[in-house]
Amino acid sequence: MKHKKRLLWIIIPIALALLPLIFDPESSYLIYFLYMTFIYIALTQSWNLVGGYTGQVSLGHYAFFGLGAYVVAIAWSRGLINFLSPHGMLAGGLGAAILAILIGIPLLSKLRGDYFALGTLGLGEILRLATVKGGAFTGGPTGILLSVASFTTIAPHYYIGLVITLLALGATWTITKSHIGLALVAIRDNEAVASASGVNILKFKVFALAAGAFIAGLCGALHANYIFQIDPQGFYSLNWTLYPVLMTVLGGAGTLFGPVIGAVFLSIGFELARYFLPEIHPIFSGLLMILAIMFLPNGLIGLRLRKSKRAIVKKW
Amino acid sequence: MTIDIILQLLINGILFGAMYGVAAIGLSLIYGTMKIVFIAQGTVIILVAYACFWLFQSYNINPYLSLVFIVPASLLVGMGFYQVLFRKVAKAGSFPTLIIAFGFLALLENFMAVAFTSTVKALQTSYSSYALTVLGLKISFVRFMAFIMALLGTGVVFFFLKNTLMGKAVRAVSENLEYATMIGITPHLINTISFAIGIGLAGIAGVATATTYAFDPYSGFVFSLKSMIALALGGMGNVVGALFGGILLGVIESYAAFFLTGGWADVISYAVFLLVLMFKSEGLFSREADTK
Repeated sequence: MKHKKRLLWIIIPIALALLPLIFDPESSYLIYFLYMTFIYIALTQSWNLVGGYTGQVSLGHYAFFGLGAYVVAIAWSRGLINFLSPHGMLAGGLGAAILAILIGIPLLSKLRGDYFALGTLGLGEILRLATVKGGAFTGGPTGILLSVASFTTIAPHYYIGLVITLLALGATWTITKSHIGLALVAIRDNEAVASASGVNILKFKVFALAAGAFIAGLCGALHANYIFQIDPQGFYSLNWTLYPVLMTVLGGAGTLFGPVIGAVFLSIGFELARYFLPEIHPIFSGLLMILAIMFLPNGLIGLRLRKSKRAIVKKW
Repeated sequence: MTIDIILQLLINGILFGAMYGVAAIGLSLIYGTMKIVFIAQGTVIILVAYACFWLFQSYNINPYLSLVFIVPASLLVGMGFYQVLFRKVAKAGSFPTLIIAFGFLALLENFMAVAFTSTVKALQTSYSSYALTVLGLKISFVRFMAFIMALLGTGVVFFFLKNTLMGKAVRAVSENLEYATMIGITPHLINTISFAIGIGLAGIAGVATATTYAFDPYSGFVFSLKSMIALALGGMGNVVGALFGGILLGVIESYAAFFLTGGWADVISYAVFLLVLMFKSEGLFSREADTK
């Protein structure tokens, strides 16, 4: 059983990597859809690391995504990097991680629970407003327009998206299997006890926030290379917090594959809704979030766990 | 720069801020009894503003008169909110309730964007731009009325909490849920009442918003943040503090908007918010120093 699971880790990525050879990435809708799904999975996993594993609900996640995009846009429009420059994207991720460390240390050392959530929301808004008011440096409310000339196909975006997704999953897996993961879960479950057992609370919280921000920043940086118009409304949109939170909660917070299931499930849901109910589909994201919390407190992945637990109980 | 302008800004800020205060009192009650950060409060306020707008536009009902319908309706809706949204998860900790409130914000915001379109609405009455002149200072009539409504709302809630048995029960639950349950108070009943009052106050704030501001579905989020700020300034779970918090926020904004250009005023409010959260999280107006 365990062997089979490990094999899937290799088979699925290879299958996904081969897909653009079968479906023409220049015209295929499937490739675009999977690209967006990769972004959602990575973003969701990055939130899950902070919110799901460590229990620190950050509502300012959109700030990390937006900052990653803006680092690319600003550097690109100054001629420092080019279309899909790897170091540009890396800079986007690092910028977000540095921001996370800078704000994480004061916020996480002082604020807990709801207060932390509100604090991150306030910071996200400050960053958004500063960008809107940033004048020539950030392009103000209309944002920065990048040159579309170098774009030919979505294939490179697809592969980079796949790599970022695997990175997010791999990093989360490695972290949760190490003593860091134990510390994070201990902080979530009982901060006082964790602290009494010698866990340096602040260090681990900031680490989780920075790791999550790094991945969110990478996602933003990659997406900036696809959208070409980086404006506050699109990239500092609250949706970039709403979707990851929703996908985490729906799939199962604090699990490795919960966010994947949530992200895939909702990406399909969004596409179907966009097709059949083009006007009203955004309403459903909020509604789903409420229903998921009320009726699936452990997420979709919890359904399976509960069933297998039931099976064990029966056997026993 | 004359003393007149400074006073004028002060008055504008106070009149403005009382509205944030009313919204914050609702949040304060909800947080006090249930420990729920009802982040969708501002969005509910905008929904009420739409209702007020619609009553005026379609039936020509005076916005102040519409309070007669809106406040009772809001109280009922508030009871419904608790029973439908939060009753099930009230004891599950802050993660689920925060997510539900956040989901509800998204739901309402998008619902309004679809149902009422995202064009900016403003309620135009014959007295919308009328201003009283007192001692050389201009006082906008609609803002003055918003201020009066805020004071009345606060007064009623304060009286209810201090002088009725039910109000005492609400305070008891806020102070210590376990002891309150032990002496026979039903938490679900008290929670329902607190939520009803919270949304009822949102009704008042909604009418005040409709008469003074131009609004669109997305202004609710900003309003939510502003009432959170007022709440943080006043101290979570402190009713009178919340009103003062709102007024203080209004004054800060009024001065910031005058001395800096438009959008930066909000940056100042958020910065004050963060500083207060970090360094004085029990609020500026709390009488006791201990937070628990």
